[in-house]
Formats: sequence, structure tokens, C-alpha cells
Amino acid sequence: MAYKPQYGPGQTQIAENRRKQMDPNHKLEKLRDISDKDVVLVMGHRAPGSAYPSAHPPLAEQQEPACPIRKLVTPTDGAKAGDRIRYIQFTDSMYNAPCQPYQRSWLESYRFRGIDPGTLSGRQIVECRERDLEKYAKELISTELFDAALTGIRGCTVHGHSLRLDENGMMFDMLQRFVIDKKTGIIKYIKDQVGVPLDTEVKVGKAQDAKWLKAHTTMYHSMVGTGFRDDPEYVEYITRIHELRVKYGFMPKEA
Amino acid sequence: MTEATFPQCRIVTERLLSPETTEHLLNQICSVAGVRRMVLNGPRLPAIVDYGPAKGLANPHTMRKKIHVGDEEFELQVHVGTILLELENREVIPALQAACTPVFTDYSFYIQEGRFMKTEPSLVDYCKYGPDADKMIIGLADPKSKSKPVILQGTI
Repeated sequence: MAYKPQYGPGQTQIAENRRKQMDPNHKLEKLRDISDKDVVLVMGHRAPGSAYPSAHPPLAEQQEPACPIRKLVTPTDGAKAGDRIRYIQFTDSMYNAPCQPYQRSWLESYRFRGIDPGTLSGRQIVECRERDLEKYAKELISTELFDAALTGIRGCTVHGHSLRLDENGMMFDMLQRFVIDKKTGIIKYIKDQVGVPLDTEVKVGKAQDAKWLKAHTTMYHSMVGTGFRDDPEYVEYITRIHELRVKYGFMPKEA
Repeated sequence: MTEATFPQCRIVTERLLSPETTEHLLNQICSVAGVRRMVLNGPRLPAIVDYGPAKGLANPHTMRKKIHVGDEEFELQVHVGTILLELENREVIPALQAACTPVFTDYSFYIQEGRFMKTEPSLVDYCKYGPDADKMIIGLADPKSKSKPVILQGTI
């Protein structure tokens, strides 16, 4: 029988959402249109329309050592062209944001190639070749993984994940990179991810409503959503991992 | 200042407060007699970006505004999330509760009683203020900060 990955334990809606996001065969729901230019603007690594600076000559032009692994692995477009390594970093609010740092690293590992995700408690960074990054970033921003109010694209000064929301439902941002238009409710980026003001604002659409967020979140939160302890299967799984890690030094043997 | 220990409490809200709500709330608190000292807590909103690639650039922020409380006008330096209060006595708390209730119509808040302010000078306070520091200002601001407490007449 062919192996079928389970992606993760749990019986709650949150666990199901996590599995869906991780499963590369599940097409992520597209919520907003964002242009390539806007993605480049928000990341702030190069001017839109400019050539990709390179870190080394294209692979086709340089002598590759005889290596069986290089023969096995097809390089990504960015690697082929010799692009620089660049990053995008996200902060996700604890208050029912659609994605969260660990989840991001897991799903990116399943869905994308040639990436180096870095997971921290309240933010997650993913590094890869520049043109690959732009393609991945577009997917991360335009789909159900992103909520305009509760997900922030923040390269630095990321604080906000664990803070209470503002009165208008936005996640705290010391640099206020994105603001809400009070009349239309549309949220727009006025600074790039490291806080440098943009010449043109980048619109990322309206915030999702509370009902949608509760149905699509991948974050356990006992006060505003589903508590972690409401999912006994997940608790059992985490307890088992924890137990094995603690006992690891004593060379555990499972019965 | 006598050795008496004054009761303290804090107002915690479900959301971080906008300057308008903060102004409304503080004016409501000002109308309650028996509040000795007050600290606005929350994440800082610097006027200039002080680190990162945008270091040195101005940091316009809609939550950093001048507000008018009592007879004083001052600029908020934090996005207010919690308000610490030192009271003359515990009987003030029900009055505070009644004053805060009309402000929070869209979301909840609660008032906790406990010890939330620094009560004794620490080493940094000693370095800044010396051995005879006025205990009224201890715990009101970071000793390294150049900002001074705002005195609201008639409420202390």
C-alpha cells in the first residue's frame, strides 16, 4: 500500500486546517490579488523591474564538480540563475491568525523547494533564492495563509504576535507598516517589511471577519477559539514527543 | 510620604486603546477622587525608529497623539494597554469601576487589585535620584528616561 502522509494529529477544526495547509495536493484558497510589483515593493530587496543581482554566475556558465547529488536534484530557477538569497518574514497574531510560525515552516517544507525556514516564537522567516522567493511570497500573501489585519510582513521590529489587538482589530506594529482605511476597511502597506516608507502604497484587501478566522485558523487559543486541551489526540501526540525527548538521554526503548 | 501602604489596582482591557479612548478613560478616572498615582503601560511608540534598517527615520504612528486630560496636555509614548493606579483607599475601586464602564461599550475590561508599582527604590533609582528620592516618583517612569511625570492638579 502506498504511503499516505498524515501531516499531523488532532480531531479539531484547527488540526484539520493544519493538515490542509500542509498537504501540497490541497489547493490553497485565493483571497486577494497582489501583483508581482507589490510583492517586490513590500519585501524591499530590489527596485521593481530591476535585474536580479547575482551571487554567482548562472549554473550553465560555470564548471560544476562531478557530484551525484547535483545530478539528482534539479536546481530551482533562482539557483540556476545564481540569484542572491533573500527573505520574507511574517508575524502572526495569536488571535486566530490563519497561520502561525511552526505551521508556516511545516507547510513551506511540503510545498516549496530550495528554502531555509527559520521558526521563532512569534515570527517566521523563510530564505531562498530571490526569484523563487518572490514566487513563494506571492502565494503566501495572496492565499488563505494571510489575513490583512492579523498577519504582518515584518523583517524587523516584529513585536505583535502575543499582544492584544488594537481597537480596530489590527495587530500591534511599532512601525505601523500597514494601516486601515477607516472608510473602505481596506488595509494597505505604507512601509516595506523593514519599515522604510514606500513611494506607492500596497493594498492587501480587507481583514477577514471573525467567523472566517475562527473557521480557518491554525492556532489553538482557549479564549478566542479552540483550546489546545480540547484536542486530546494532539495533547497525546505532544506528550509523547515530549516524553521521548526527555528520555532520549536514557536511550528509551518503546515496548 | 508616610510608611503607609496604599492599595493599588490595574485596569486591563480586552484591546489596546486608541488615543481617543485613552483620553476618555483618563478623564473618567480623573473625575474619581482618591487616585494618587497612575502609570500608562503598553508597547512603546518611538518618534524615531531607533534600530533596524530604517534607523533614524521618523516613525509617524496614529496611536501616538497628544491627549488632553484634566488641565494637562501630553503626548502618549506608548500604545496604552494597562493602567496602573495607586489609590488612597480601597473604597475608591467601586467608583473606578463605575467610571470605566461607560468607556468600554464594545469590549470588556477588568480591574485587578494587587501590587503593580515599584514600592522601594532600586539601584537604578538610587543612581538617578540619589538617597533622598521622592517616593512619589519611584516606579512612575524608567529612571533612564528623560521624561517626567505629568501632574494632574486636584487629583493627587
